[in-house]
Amino acid sequence: MASITAPMGGETRSIPAPSPRIADYLRWSIDHKIIGVQYIVTSLFFFVIGGALAMLIRWELLTPTLDLATNGSQYNSLFTLHGTVMIFLWVIPMMAGFGNYLVPLMLGAKDMAFPWLNAFAFWLIPPAGILLLLGWFIGPPEAGWTSYPPLSTLYSPDGQTLWAMALHLLGISSILGAINFIVTIRNMRPEGMGYWQMPLFVWAVLATAIIQVLATPFLTGALTLLILDRVAGTSFFDPSNGGDVLLWQNVFWFYSHPAVYIMILPGFGMVSEVLATHARKPIFGYRAIALSSMAIALVGFTVWAHHMFTALQPELRIPFMITSMIIAVPTGIKIFSWLGTLWGGKIHFTTAMLFALGFLSMFVIGGISGVMLASVPVDIHVHDTYFVVSHFHFVLFGGSVFLIYSGLYHWFPKITGRLLDERLGKLHFVLTYVSFFFTFFPQHIAGLEGMPRRIAVYDPMYTNINQLISFSAFVLGITTFILLYNLVHSLVAGERVGANPWRSLTLEWATTSPPPPYNFVGDPVPFEDPYGYGTEEATAYLDALDRRFPPPTKLPPTAAVPHPEPAGD
Amino acid sequence: MSVSDLPSQRVLEKQLSRQELQELRNKRTGLTIFQISWILVFVCLIIVNWQLRNGQVSWPPPGVEAPSPLLPTVATLGLLVSVWFVRRGLRAIRADEQAAFFRYWRAALGLAVAFVAIVAFDWVRIPYTGIYSDVFRMMTGFHEVHALAIGTFMGMIYRGARAGNYGPGNFWPVEGAAGLWYFVVFAWILFYAVLYLI
Repeated sequence: MASITAPMGGETRSIPAPSPRIADYLRWSIDHKIIGVQYIVTSLFFFVIGGALAMLIRWELLTPTLDLATNGSQYNSLFTLHGTVMIFLWVIPMMAGFGNYLVPLMLGAKDMAFPWLNAFAFWLIPPAGILLLLGWFIGPPEAGWTSYPPLSTLYSPDGQTLWAMALHLLGISSILGAINFIVTIRNMRPEGMGYWQMPLFVWAVLATAIIQVLATPFLTGALTLLILDRVAGTSFFDPSNGGDVLLWQNVFWFYSHPAVYIMILPGFGMVSEVLATHARKPIFGYRAIALSSMAIALVGFTVWAHHMFTALQPELRIPFMITSMIIAVPTGIKIFSWLGTLWGGKIHFTTAMLFALGFLSMFVIGGISGVMLASVPVDIHVHDTYFVVSHFHFVLFGGSVFLIYSGLYHWFPKITGRLLDERLGKLHFVLTYVSFFFTFFPQHIAGLEGMPRRIAVYDPMYTNINQLISFSAFVLGITTFILLYNLVHSLVAGERVGANPWRSLTLEWATTSPPPPYNFVGDPVPFEDPYGYGTEEATAYLDALDRRFPPPTKLPPTAAVPHPEPAGD
Repeated sequence: MSVSDLPSQRVLEKQLSRQELQELRNKRTGLTIFQISWILVFVCLIIVNWQLRNGQVSWPPPGVEAPSPLLPTVATLGLLVSVWFVRRGLRAIRADEQAAFFRYWRAALGLAVAFVAIVAFDWVRIPYTGIYSDVFRMMTGFHEVHALAIGTFMGMIYRGARAGNYGPGNFWPVEGAAGLWYFVVFAWILFYAVLYLI
């Protein structure tokens, strides 16, 4: 194969890095980069709200009696809104934000396939969030983020209806966004980039989008029935009138288990980018990682009933136990591939890398407890205990959120042209890692000792462990503000960098930071292997990029780049 | 044969610029993915029907009379015929045969209106019988909303064509409306089988 060393296909016109104004981000725009930032900032806003709700939950659980809440219903509302906000308004939109910003850039495209639809999908999110939170004032939803009937039909006030309407909007947004991703990835790859040359983040977004278009319609169906039961007097979930309460659980989990992969797969893509770039080493098992994303997407549709083991017909338990265990295989393939990528690499302990490494350790714990929960006897024993709470927080916080943090540190320079402060970043990492562990790991123990989830008043024997969890959670909450401060501070005063501060080979770095409105002047030429670090060709390609987009210091490009050193490209 | 295989297709596409061709390709792919995705909402409702009827000793439940399939069968046949008119209309607009397009599209719209009216009639006249009528009304109503919305869109396309907006150089809106109408027809066939035949 001929070596590619001219990243811009001979294009020599210079393009100054643009300076987008804040007002650009507050109005309707069809630029995928602005939409990406809109997603990211909006979801960060809801992260703070969801986090505040978590703090209130942990405050309530400092003692075994009611402290903050005046009754159980208030506590029910707290964890219902916390779960809903974190899943539907923080993690999923944040991943969509990264996807929106990066996928067209990584493909060398000018924009997404349907820019208007892209903006429309985003602008469904703020009203959905407002609708959800408005419920707090008319009688908040109390049925948990899973909203099982009859809790969600007979015993939850009007806010539950707004909850369902909000999720309807978010579901439509999700489907429209996913259609856009699939079409963009399928139709808009540049010449020279087949599926097997795509960055792994793009593969991950593709797998996520496939899940979204196939799973979210089931949420739509379930929500339609829930709304009808609540407002039109139907009885789909009312057994006394011919309905079936398990109907909701089946349909809801048919969406919501794949939704776990909607939340984690884009992060899997991010970690592949971060590990290879910051370890200066080709990704280990490129095809295995790409295909395992697809395998997870596929097998993810066959495991939903493991959430219902206690209610499931006994003869169905074993098949779902087997499929739930099988899905650990593609995930394991990824973990070993990432370890293989690190092995022998020239690791740069940047904050992005630290969070990626933190993810590897924490997610494995979540994965192992997941395999334990896939086992029917264990699941029945710890069902609805804090063991389950611990498991999914290790997956979603130790997995998704750690990777979001990693992605923010990695791509912030591309989005803003400035580095996030690395000292603050490392402080953020250390405090997050430690406080996360002491918040969620003891929950395994509390669960195994029998502490149920979703209760505000508990047996005093769990007081000490709950206080440890709560105080750790408060520290974890504070760490978020380190990140937020860093984001704002670095946006104004962060060190300016050039187009490619990490000397990465994927195409989003082959343009200015931030990129111009149409991303590239001319058609960028992808390097033959997006992870081909450590070769002379890669060094030549990266040097050509540095010459094409010199860092702002006017120093020789390699001297101005803080991480990593060019040797070892 | 799919819409994209119609005879004048390749000739027309050769006249498009690279970007226009890319946009057309994107729209077609997007519509196909939307159809695949959204039909799953209908599949979900069929699964709901299946699970609820499994919880009953018989379906309809004892003492409940199923609605007569006669009128819905006529409506379904009309819907199938409308596909032929829509396809002919699409072919006509690509061939710049405006008069033929109006003729075929009017026929399709007429059949669409008849279908919507018949299903609405069935929806109104079924007596409340608990879960059976709930499921029946939910499924027919959900489909009816789609038929109405997409039928209205087809009406807007007709008006646009009257204003001379579409022709061989700009046929995507017509093709898109046709694709959505096929979706309505396909979704109804699934529902018709579940509601009236099985």
